[in-house]
Amino acid sequence: MTVLILNLIWQISTLALVALGLAIVFGKLRIMNMAHGEFVMIGAYAPVITSSLGLPMWLQLPVCLVTVALVALFLERTIIQHLYGRMFDSLLATWGIAILLREVVELLFGRGYQSVKVPIAGTVDVFGTQYPLYRIVVVFVILVCFGALAWWNRRSKVATQIKAMVGNPELAQAVGINTERLSAAAFVFGCCTAGMAGLLLAPTIRIEPVMGIDYLIRSFFALVVGGLGSLEGLGLGVTLIAGTQSVIGAFASQTYGYLAVLTLSILFLWLKPDGIRSSSR
Amino acid sequence: MVNKTLRLLASTSLVAMMVAGTAQADIKIGVLVPDSGPAGLFGPSTRNAAELAAQKINADGGINGEQIELVFADVGVPPAEAAQAALRLWKGEGVQAFVGMHDSAVREALLGRFNGQVPYVYTPVYEGGACADGLYVTGETPSQQLAPVIPYLMDVENVSKWYLIGHDYNWPRDTNALAKGYIDEAGGEVVGEEYLPFSVAEFDSSLQRIKTSGADAVLITLVGGGSVGFNVSFSGFGMDTQAIRLGTLIEENTLAGIGANNTKRLFSTSGYFSSIKGEAAATFATDYAEAFGADAPALNTLGQSSYEGLMLLDALAEKAGSLDVVAMDAAAEGLTWTTPRGENTLTGRHMAQTIYLADGSSGAFEVVTSFASVASSESCSN
Repeated sequence: MTVLILNLIWQISTLALVALGLAIVFGKLRIMNMAHGEFVMIGAYAPVITSSLGLPMWLQLPVCLVTVALVALFLERTIIQHLYGRMFDSLLATWGIAILLREVVELLFGRGYQSVKVPIAGTVDVFGTQYPLYRIVVVFVILVCFGALAWWNRRSKVATQIKAMVGNPELAQAVGINTERLSAAAFVFGCCTAGMAGLLLAPTIRIEPVMGIDYLIRSFFALVVGGLGSLEGLGLGVTLIAGTQSVIGAFASQTYGYLAVLTLSILFLWLKPDGIRSSSR
Repeated sequence: MVNKTLRLLASTSLVAMMVAGTAQADIKIGVLVPDSGPAGLFGPSTRNAAELAAQKINADGGINGEQIELVFADVGVPPAEAAQAALRLWKGEGVQAFVGMHDSAVREALLGRFNGQVPYVYTPVYEGGACADGLYVTGETPSQQLAPVIPYLMDVENVSKWYLIGHDYNWPRDTNALAKGYIDEAGGEVVGEEYLPFSVAEFDSSLQRIKTSGADAVLITLVGGGSVGFNVSFSGFGMDTQAIRLGTLIEENTLAGIGANNTKRLFSTSGYFSSIKGEAAATFATDYAEAFGADAPALNTLGQSSYEGLMLLDALAEKAGSLDVVAMDAAAEGLTWTTPRGENTLTGRHMAQTIYLADGSSGAFEVVTSFASVASSESCSN
């Protein structure tokens, strides 16, 4: 039972970090970012980059954030900035970007699997059961990140500015919001959180150029269920999606777990297309 | 798409170079490789191994004195498309024989088209059960991989409680059906059996089940990325102290993805590892590195199998005196030939071969023991 609860916490918190970037880019900027999973993938490749360049381990995070930020900024300035307000076009364009990113990574690192050494090895005793120490550390890091984000979100006007910008770009500009800079910053920030999720997950998952799709799909499910535009919605969505898979996977089978996730997502799309919480509509 | 085009360009230029280097080829052989799709990872090594085989065959005087030329097609696509691609090679380009490294669905589609009219060697590890005129199989079947290995591991590693986990399709299910028999015969028991959909990327609940089952051995028939993810989590939870792991398709790429820190007490059974000893295997590995460079795609049982397939085709066509299916079918039973894998015999259209058990604990496969001339329980009659 303890393991189930710990697994649940792990699944929910990691999915929350993975989906956060999509919640910002899709939920706030209205860019249906099909390349979201590829930013998770690039983040997961950061340790591969540092080890292939012979860099020390502590550079993994800077390398991850700089790489993801540069790629995201380049794409935003060249392609994404023309697609605000054109959701369907953004879906097609980012799908193409996703393919491009996969191919670039494949060209650089090959099609094969990569492995990343876990920085904190071993298991610890949690209420009488052995649990990987690294997972516990990661959960704490994610909790701290979300705490900071929630605090900042409450104090800062940025969320309101983004809402204004997406709702009426001309008016937003007229009241002095630098929409170009704001949208680029929001896109890059969203992609960086995805990259960081990839980096944190890297020692616990398979790493290959095509790994991103799993994370994209689960993130979309979470947003469909939770609703766009708020941290609360994101929290509810990831809890329902990750929780359903974990609990049904544990008590029945993984097949039924996945089936339940799909059913849940379809029911929400059909009966409650705005999700549980939707603050931006 | 860009990728496919590039690959196609690269491969055609390679073939062009090879043709330019040899005399005018007399026989065209179609080599069916997965350039795309789930097995796309194995495309490059499969192509390379086939190139090496063609060089060797031509250097030794070709097939029945005629030089051969390889023509490749991508079969990492849906079965109907793969069959179309093979048909183009056969009817369009005049290919006289096929060697294929692809999944079973594609094989069945091809057999429907070939209809015993053209010799066809099927080379990857597979679940067994394929019989047809003109079809010869070199890949390991579950009986070969498990019949000698399960009792050996139970004895040497002192384990008896097996948990069987695989992806939900016929290869894992057929493998486990046989495995249960071998485990039972050796006095062990199966304490759990589980099949996962391909869409599952986290294995927490499965690991929990394995833990509570008290298993001291896990038979893994997950493939590709699923196998990597499962094994990484398995070690992350420290389960490698509870149970040994045995995989029937954990090859060099998968092992690299799992990573040296997560491979403690992880075994793999296969007809080929890049680290197997023996003169033929060593020569093969050296030739491979020389021809394709140090950064060449890692050798593995699937990629290397295209070499085995071409060598079987060569040996069988030499014995039959032609590439005629009726003559080859008649000559098939009892054919013996030597390859990097060792001494092989064709029995019931399947390849009796040496089976190697390797330990991946160090992060690279070290062969623990080998079993010579293991015949498949699969048997096709003439």
